[in-house]
Amino acid sequence: MIRRALIVVLLIAAAAPLMLAMSQLPPHGSSETPPYTHISPYYLEHGAEEAGAENIVTDVILNYRGFDTQHEVTVIFTSMAAVLAVLLLDPPGRQRAVQVQQPVPVSTVVRFIVRVLAPFIALFAIYVILNGHVTPGGGFQGGTIIGALVIALSLVMSKEDADALLPRKAEHLLQAAAPIAFFVVGLAGLFAWGEYLYFPRDEELRWLSTLMLIIIEIGIGVGGACVLIRIFRAMRAD
Amino acid sequence: MSTLFDITLIVLLIACSIAVVRLKDLLAATVVFSTYSLTMCLLWLHRGAPDVAMTEAAVGAGVTTVLFLIAIGRTTGHEK
Repeated sequence: MIRRALIVVLLIAAAAPLMLAMSQLPPHGSSETPPYTHISPYYLEHGAEEAGAENIVTDVILNYRGFDTQHEVTVIFTSMAAVLAVLLLDPPGRQRAVQVQQPVPVSTVVRFIVRVLAPFIALFAIYVILNGHVTPGGGFQGGTIIGALVIALSLVMSKEDADALLPRKAEHLLQAAAPIAFFVVGLAGLFAWGEYLYFPRDEELRWLSTLMLIIIEIGIGVGGACVLIRIFRAMRAD
Repeated sequence: MSTLFDITLIVLLIACSIAVVRLKDLLAATVVFSTYSLTMCLLWLHRGAPDVAMTEAAVGAGVTTVLFLIAIGRTTGHEK
C-alpha cells in the first residue's frame, strides 16, 4: 500500500515539471516561433551556397544539424547491439521453445524477378547515396535500399551464395561505418579548423564540404545496410 | 483531384490499420501491414517528401515485412 502511494507520488513528481515545461511551449503550429521567424528562412536562403549541398534537406541533416545526425546513427548502431543481445541470448540449459518450420521452396518466378531486378536496384541505391547532396535521398535512403536488396537476394539464394554477397567478417567491420565516418570527418574538422564537425563555408572550399558530406553519406549508407542485414541474419539464426 | 487522392490514401490507411488489428491470421496481418507501408509511401511522395518515401518503401514495406515473416515462421502464426 505504502509502495503504491510512493509510486503515485513519484509519478506525479516526475510529471509535474514535464507538464509545466509543456505549458511553456509556444502553441503548436504558431508562426511566431524561432524555426519560422529566422531559422528556416536562413537555411533556405543560404543553405545551397554555404553548406556544400544543393539539396537543403542534406544541408540541414548533415551540416547544420550534424551533431543530431551523428548521435542518431550512434543510436541506430546501439539499438542493433541491443537487438543482437536479445536475439543471441541463449542461456545454457534452456531449450529453444519453438521448432523452426520446414522452409517453403522459393518459387521460380520470384527468384527470377529478384535476380533480374537486383543489379538495377543496386545501381539505384548507389546513385541515391552518391547523389544525396543534389537530389532527394542520401545515406539513410540508399543504405536501406541496399539492405533490403541483400535481404531479398538472401531469401532466394542458397545459404552459401547469400553469405558470399557480404562476407561475415566485412559485415562485422562495416556495421559501425556510420558513426566512424562521422567521427573521422568530425576529427578532420577539429584538426583543420579547430572545431569538431566543422564544414568550411567559403566559396572556394565548397568542394571540400561536398566531399565531407559525401564521405558521411557513404558511411551512413554502408553502415545502415550492414545493420539491417545483421539483424536479418541474426533472426534467421544463421 | 489532389485532395481527393490524399483522402483516398488516408481512408485506405485507416482501413489497413483497423484490418491489421482485427485479423487473427498473423500472416495476413503482415501482408496488410506491408500494404499500409506502401500506401504511406505514396502519401509521403504526394506530400513532397520523396526521401522519406524511399525509406518507407525499403524499410516499412520490405525489411520489416521480412522480419515479421521470419518471426511468424518461428512461432505458431495464429493469434490466440
